Amino acid sequence: MQIGRIYAQAIKEIAQFRRDKLTVALAFGLPVLALLLYGYATRLESKDIPVAVRNFDNGALSREYIDTIFANGQLTPARWGSRSDSIGSLDLGLAKATIVIPPEFSRHLKEGLTAPVAVIVDATDVNNARVIKNSVLATTKFFCKTHHLGGSPNLITAQVRLWFNPGRKEAQYVVPGAVAVILWIFPCLLAALAMARENEQGTMLQLYASSLSSFELILGKAAAYVAVSMVMSVLLIGISMLLFQLDVVGDLPIFILSLVLYETCAIAFGLMVGAKSASQSVAVQAVATASFTTALLLSGFIYPLRNITFPLSLISSILPARYFVESCRDLFVRGSDAASQVFIPVALVLFALLVLMRASGMIRKMQLPG
Amino acid sequence: MSALSQTQIFRLQIKTLAIKELRQIMRDKQMVFLLFVMPILQLCLYGFALSPEVEHLRLGVIDLAHSPTSRELVSALVENGVFDLKQSGGTSESLATLVREGKLDAGVIVPPELERDIKSKKAVDVQIMIDGVDANSAGIASGYINQIMGAFNRKLMAGTQTDSQLVLPQISFAYNPGLISSWFFVPGVLGLVLNLVSTLVSTSTVVREKDSGTLEQLLMTPVNSFQILAAKVMPLSVLLMMTVFVSLIVAKFIFHVPFRGSLLLFLAVSFLAIIVGISIGISLAAFAQNQRQALLTSFFVNLPVIQLSGAIAPLESMPKFCQWLSLIDPLRFYVSCTKAIMLKGAGLDVIWPDVLALAFFAVVLLTLSSSRFRQQLN
Repeated sequence: MQIGRIYAQAIKEIAQFRRDKLTVALAFGLPVLALLLYGYATRLESKDIPVAVRNFDNGALSREYIDTIFANGQLTPARWGSRSDSIGSLDLGLAKATIVIPPEFSRHLKEGLTAPVAVIVDATDVNNARVIKNSVLATTKFFCKTHHLGGSPNLITAQVRLWFNPGRKEAQYVVPGAVAVILWIFPCLLAALAMARENEQGTMLQLYASSLSSFELILGKAAAYVAVSMVMSVLLIGISMLLFQLDVVGDLPIFILSLVLYETCAIAFGLMVGAKSASQSVAVQAVATASFTTALLLSGFIYPLRNITFPLSLISSILPARYFVESCRDLFVRGSDAASQVFIPVALVLFALLVLMRASGMIRKMQLPG
Repeated sequence: MSALSQTQIFRLQIKTLAIKELRQIMRDKQMVFLLFVMPILQLCLYGFALSPEVEHLRLGVIDLAHSPTSRELVSALVENGVFDLKQSGGTSESLATLVREGKLDAGVIVPPELERDIKSKKAVDVQIMIDGVDANSAGIASGYINQIMGAFNRKLMAGTQTDSQLVLPQISFAYNPGLISSWFFVPGVLGLVLNLVSTLVSTSTVVREKDSGTLEQLLMTPVNSFQILAAKVMPLSVLLMMTVFVSLIVAKFIFHVPFRGSLLLFLAVSFLAIIVGISIGISLAAFAQNQRQALLTSFFVNLPVIQLSGAIAPLESMPKFCQWLSLIDPLRFYVSCTKAIMLKGAGLDVIWPDVLALAFFAVVLLTLSSSRFRQQLN
């Protein structure tokens, strides 16, 4: 193994990369576009959920109840629509929930009787159905308390504190995860394309005939693309700090170490996929299925990891993106001790080595002995 | 030569070309994989992996009271599967560290004076800390805790004089009473996959002819550019309709998603979506110089199209700006149609604005792509 040859290979690779405008756009434009899209458009909890209310009561209490329901800003009043049944405005898509207040509501309450209120929630979006339910229950409880309408004085009260993200800003959850996922997908794609291009254009055969060993070839390419991906990382992290107000609260050195290793993993994986693909279109497709979807779905980027059940959880557990999503959240939101994060670089080193060996093994078969 | 009319010849030529096209696609393993295997894989992956459930949160408890009431409180928290008791005992610092490092999702500290205060009817605070990194789950979890605590309080007060809350919201969930999350994702992902497959397949059928130079050969035959285009679109739409059926079978038999609306309406809307997808694919191919460029530009197009469609994260939750942006995303309209037809059983009277928008996109994109394609040929 010669450092000089690896270096030369890396320089050649960078030169080739810079020459192709579209690839450069892919390397820098697309990740930024993806970050903006994921960062701004991935929101799970709705604000201003339209709720239609029909009030058959004409007392003051029912009007106050309705005011309370809409007071916390999560729900907003919506039109009832043309149909009189209570599911009509859900069918027509005018509202996400309907509330029907029965006649006698105020009278019953004044006499100390219970007053049922019918609430129908559109559960096509399961998550927001739960949000609506919790919101209605909580405001109702508040209403009863302020109007002295029963509700036992709570002996035990829960003092709930939300750590790290007390304002429950979803960007704090989504953006670090998005950075991690993007820094997996695109370096992987670039590397796979670079490798598959050699296959497609037949230049791989020339390399076989040269004195370059397969491992040197792989290392040279990997070095070049790790450098590219570092520029990409700085760009993405800078943008997420500027636009999404993320701050570094974790341990920076261990994050940087993890980052370099993670990019090595991504590129090694890309090179392996590329080495196996006969053409660039096959490589893109393989990366799209093997890397894009798995990183997007099995890394805990959108929904919590604990919801991924066996057998998918097995795939998830060998996915580097899953660990790096944690690293990113740790750096930007959680800020825990460095010691608890050490396992991440160790896992990444193992993965990178394994994949690099496999990739070079794949092309060594073709090489002439000696 | 028997006298074939001009239109008969015209149709015969299209038919021959279409059969050639169909054979070429079916011979290509990569295409067959894209058309029939990828939808199944993607639907299963998305359907099983995406789940916003808030359950089995890892809970740590420090019970300083060691009393029957405190034990009942802990079992009330764990009872319905929202929390799993993972850790018991320790100091409040060690519990805090576990939550901080993400090893636990929530921690509860029951104060030593719990039993005494309850006996003397004094209010007592139970400290609960929740890992708020996942903002959405944390919000729902804290809602659950309040409800569990409310129920527990009512139980405590059961023997006494105080009455229960007078206003009783009776909440029922429409369309998906069991709150099964795959019912939300599968119809959306079905649209996503159809869009992805139709653009990919149409791009590569056009670009391949360009790459291998067979497009020029086709031009030397007596067929015109309109016929070439029609012969490309027709077999693809037939095959993609089969993709729709495959996806529906997966939705029905693997995920048991209900199909409440009209199948005919669903197929008609899907046909529009297919035309949109194919048109996008053909335009990508027409603008690109070679396959590599076509593939890479398809990333630039598909990423926003998918992300803004509401297939993965609900459209209503996005910021207003993104919601406006989604109005130029044809997939958005298809996804809202599939959801409305499958889950709500909506008819044309409800979803006509979406169908109209989709039809508009289909016509505009098909015109654009075909004019661009023919321009290149002439």
